[in-house]
Amino acid sequence: MADPAPTNDPGLLLLISLAGGPKHGHAMLLDIAAFAGVRLGPGTLYGALSRLEEEGLVAALPTDGRRRPYRLTPSGRRALASRLGGLDRAVQTGLQRVGA
Amino acid sequence: MSRSPGRLVRLLMRCYPATWRDRYGDELLDLVSDLPLTPRVALDLASSGLGLRARALRAGAAHRVLQGDSVMAIQPAWRHPTAFAVAGALLLLPTFCLVVGSLLGYELGLTGLLGIVAPIQATAASIRAVDLFLVAAPALALAAAIAPLVRLGWERRDGTLQAVLAVRALALNLAIALVAVAVGSLLAWHIVVESLLEAGA
Repeated sequence: MADPAPTNDPGLLLLISLAGGPKHGHAMLLDIAAFAGVRLGPGTLYGALSRLEEEGLVAALPTDGRRRPYRLTPSGRRALASRLGGLDRAVQTGLQRVGA
Repeated sequence: MSRSPGRLVRLLMRCYPATWRDRYGDELLDLVSDLPLTPRVALDLASSGLGLRARALRAGAAHRVLQGDSVMAIQPAWRHPTAFAVAGALLLLPTFCLVVGSLLGYELGLTGLLGIVAPIQATAASIRAVDLFLVAAPALALAAAIAPLVRLGWERRDGTLQAVLAVRALALNLAIALVAVAVGSLLAWHIVVESLLEAGA
């Protein structure tokens, strides 16, 4: 059986993807599919991206040809670290309890 | 899926709020043009767009309430009264024709009309869904015609949220509402009389 996706939260997946460097929409889809095994739809991706930009967690960069790349903001990096820290605590607790 | 990407994608983009399309529309279109337009992608675009639209409506309403403005709970009906009136008229039309045809045929003895109306009534009565629709149509038409006349909402006054109800008069909607009430009353009267006659027989 294939490994299950670590999370289906598009916002979290986008933040993780952009933590690796600025990317445009198509590159984000490919990156997320590669590291999480999740195939986000284009509407889901841009819906989450617009919310993250509204919250100031990501920012648009000048267009690169016909594509616009996005980057993680400092506040997005802090939010991501905080969410991953919370997830990590839950994962560690879960692993201890199942004895893995 | 038969592909007509330009037209279908443009149609799906209509699901998104206009302000959102102004900001992200070109980028999303560019991304979609790089992907095969499968049913999954089409569904994703539609559901995401409608979700963003619902979110924008909720955010707009909450913002206006916080600003002290009143907010409508039935905004589409208020904004499109003629469309609702026409929808009401179309809903009512089949029942209206059968009721008027029956009246003219049975009460005024226009047997030519009865020859047309009676077979239609018999067919309608034999199909439960059609029969139910014909009976429910006056109520549905009344609701469609009346909805744009009623403004139901809430507003913030002296720091508290208060319900607000206002009514406006629009001739076309009122006329269709009155016809719906008349047709519904005739239909109800007919059903009651018929039931009494059957009970007595």
